[in-house]
Amino acid sequence: MAKAEHSVLGTSIARQGGVERVTGAGIYGIDLDLPNAVRGGILRSQHAHAKIVSIDTSQAKALPGVYAVVTAADAPDVKYGRTTIDRYMLAKNKVRYMGDPVAAVAAESQAVVKQALKKIKVVYEPLPVVLDPEETMKASAPTLHEEVPLPANLPKDANVKNVCSYTGVHAGDPEKAMAEADVVVEEVYETKMIHPQYLEPRIAAARQEPDGRITLWANAQAPFGVRTDVARLLKVPLNKVRVLSTELGGGFGGKASGITSGAAIEPICALLAVKARRPVMIVLDKAEETISTTIRSGAKMYIKTGVKKDGTIVARTGKVVYDAGAYSGFGAMAGARCTQMLGGWYLTPNVHIDGYVVYTNKQVCGPVRGPGGPQAAFAVESHMDSIAAKLGIDPVEFRLKNVPKSGDRIVGVPKLRDISLGETVRIAAEKIGWGKTKLGKNQGIGIATGSWIESSGPGGGAMVKVNEDGSATVHIGKIDMGTAPRFGIPMIVAEELGIPVNDVMVVNVDTDASPWDAGTVGSRSIIVSGTATRLAAIDARNQIFKLAASQLEASPDDLEIKDKQIRVKGTPAKSVPLATVATAAHNVIGEVVGHGYCDSKLMAAEEKAHGNSPPFTAHACIVEVDPDTGNVKILKYVAVHDVGFVIHPVAVEGQVEGAAAMSIGQALCEQVVFDTNGRTMNPSFVDYLMPTINMMPRIETTLVHGYPGAGPYGAKGAGEIGCVPPMAAIANAICNATGVRIRTLPLSPENVLRALRAAKR
Amino acid sequence: MTLTINVTVNGKSVSADAEPSTSLLEFLRDVLNYKGTKLCCNTGECGACTVLFNGKPVNSCVVPAADAVGAQVVTVEGLADGEKLHPVQQAFIDTGAVQCGYCTPGFIISVKALLDRTKRPTPAEIEEAVSGNICRCTGYAKIVDAIALAAERMEGSTLGIASGGRS
Repeated sequence: MAKAEHSVLGTSIARQGGVERVTGAGIYGIDLDLPNAVRGGILRSQHAHAKIVSIDTSQAKALPGVYAVVTAADAPDVKYGRTTIDRYMLAKNKVRYMGDPVAAVAAESQAVVKQALKKIKVVYEPLPVVLDPEETMKASAPTLHEEVPLPANLPKDANVKNVCSYTGVHAGDPEKAMAEADVVVEEVYETKMIHPQYLEPRIAAARQEPDGRITLWANAQAPFGVRTDVARLLKVPLNKVRVLSTELGGGFGGKASGITSGAAIEPICALLAVKARRPVMIVLDKAEETISTTIRSGAKMYIKTGVKKDGTIVARTGKVVYDAGAYSGFGAMAGARCTQMLGGWYLTPNVHIDGYVVYTNKQVCGPVRGPGGPQAAFAVESHMDSIAAKLGIDPVEFRLKNVPKSGDRIVGVPKLRDISLGETVRIAAEKIGWGKTKLGKNQGIGIATGSWIESSGPGGGAMVKVNEDGSATVHIGKIDMGTAPRFGIPMIVAEELGIPVNDVMVVNVDTDASPWDAGTVGSRSIIVSGTATRLAAIDARNQIFKLAASQLEASPDDLEIKDKQIRVKGTPAKSVPLATVATAAHNVIGEVVGHGYCDSKLMAAEEKAHGNSPPFTAHACIVEVDPDTGNVKILKYVAVHDVGFVIHPVAVEGQVEGAAAMSIGQALCEQVVFDTNGRTMNPSFVDYLMPTINMMPRIETTLVHGYPGAGPYGAKGAGEIGCVPPMAAIANAICNATGVRIRTLPLSPENVLRALRAAKR
Repeated sequence: MTLTINVTVNGKSVSADAEPSTSLLEFLRDVLNYKGTKLCCNTGECGACTVLFNGKPVNSCVVPAADAVGAQVVTVEGLADGEKLHPVQQAFIDTGAVQCGYCTPGFIISVKALLDRTKRPTPAEIEEAVSGNICRCTGYAKIVDAIALAAERMEGSTLGIASGGRS
């Protein structure tokens, strides 16, 4: 229900762009049909680690219908990377995973592309392959990046190699506190690599314009990042590269190349288009995606906690070994977040956690939905239950005992203002029937919580143009993938400008016209673009009031706008249509263009002064474990989320439910499996299992109100946090059902059965 | 060698040439320009390319175009009546079941097939009907709402399943 003070906010309008999607309009990247375009394809390494001795492209070039064949030799000698510059767009000298791009072809058809790729002769000298992140740190492991120095901040006694980045999280005196604890629990948890498996394949299309500029179409979450990479790698100025975002058929962080440097196909496509002198379009095959594009990394997490007899947590120590894959990608950021979150979101005064992000010969870590968080939460929240069991305290009671209060800090996070953690736990416990539900044979109940930091990060802008008919055209830097830009963003403009939401059009990103943005990542669409859009709409409204004031013979401060009419407050008879004012603007300022910004520095200062109110969540479930097959069926699942002010309830529920489903998949079945040579064993959807409707419970979502966040009207981000608790909630329920604690994902029938049998012995 | 494929798509008979290896999906998308049928896994696992083939839902990526000679094919483009959306399409919009929307055409075809053969589907029948369609965005909750709402509107009946979801 809309709050009384709002006209549209808080309601669930029909998603903009819905009609195109249900009628099958060709709006996605994959539907692009550029005139005269030829097809592009990429030759990928068949070795996980090897020296490139030679590449012979002559036979491929000679094939009829081939327009261009490129290798690293055809590109400027420029490396790239977000945190560590460690990668060429096409491998040079060495390949580091099976799927590393080595060469690319543009040809008249996909069939000729395939033939040409087969005719490229690459001679490799295989090198030892290392897949296990802990093995790669040992002195005996092969060196994966000869030119990358170890991180400067490594602990002096670390004695490690192949480390890409290090994060240390420290607070208080954990050694002393651990010694004084009544009970100490120490465990090791491990998660495996999963692929985001958005349904629309990744595409890129490029065309060199007559003036030499390059136009790129990409189903990219970070079009400005793509522009940066393409300009840098092709050594052209930024204003000579224009990136147009197509509609996206899912992304989940997997399509955020450009901010991650992971398997970026866009620069390769641009290079092909320049060399071929024809527009080129690359469409990745799904199996090619699974082996080559960015993924959610596996993490190994050592966790140790000291508690008092009464259940008070006094110390946490631990170590994270986070798999970056073959290149730095998003590993440093995701690994750092995992390390910080292993400290937990409960009151824990003494913490010491070492986080190592390490290179292996596997595909590259990307910013997949809640990067680093779900892994840490699997360990932290499973571990909470292990501690509660050791203490003989109820898991809900144990969690509530350690909830931080206003003014407290959780390690690595600004001072807290509002803490909804306890409330989400209490509601989840009530909804699942904690302590009340009578469980059947082989059934168990479990709960897990989560938090997510989404208020810090790059800023962004918005422009609201008011057209002469009173409609509005909005430019933001974030793209729509079922997220805020066509749910909440138009509602904000409608609210502030007093126009119907259907009169608001949000333009897809064009890097020539849209304000710069870091990308649609980090649950930040509503925080960044929502804040900027609100201020831009208010700016436009102020300009309109100024223009209308003389006509209405009133002060701008006395005006209001509703139903596309500007009225004098208290004198509704005195009004002028918005269209009239917007048209009259042509002879004054031309057009009303409102500008607004999300100023991250301002936001950080605000948080420093008044505290941070991050989103919190608790999920709870009841499962039934088949002791003969190991199959786990989720019978009931509740998700309780504080996302601050809710702009569009159905959209937020959709984010929560989708995120939970993704982690339920990781909990029960999803995993990219490798053989010892680093070859992916399950690249196609036949073997890569994902949740279908049969294995999904109805997720019952509850949105908690009353804890305003950093976004517009007190909104918080909602896209990622739903991924955080599910794995531990399910593992805890399995443990409750069977008495067996499983510390390695996935909780597949095979692994559950193995654990049950091991426990019997 | 090319084959001439005569087929009825969305009630219109068409004739076009295709390579023998062409799938029905490729034929629809690349030859006939019906882009509403989506390409994803190409292995018949995800349901994004579902079309009605003589009234039955099939994964068009694993059906040879040659098999469609003389067949009646219905794609998502064939459901709306001019500007008026099919009740299944409208229900997907109204319940918030469309996030990225890429799986939506496939789901809508599977659901149309279900409601064509069963006026009052049980929850188990609903589950079975879309068990071959993967959605990565919604967690399926709103899709179940959409199916229930579409069935209600088409039959004027209540299925006793949570519907709507709009505040």
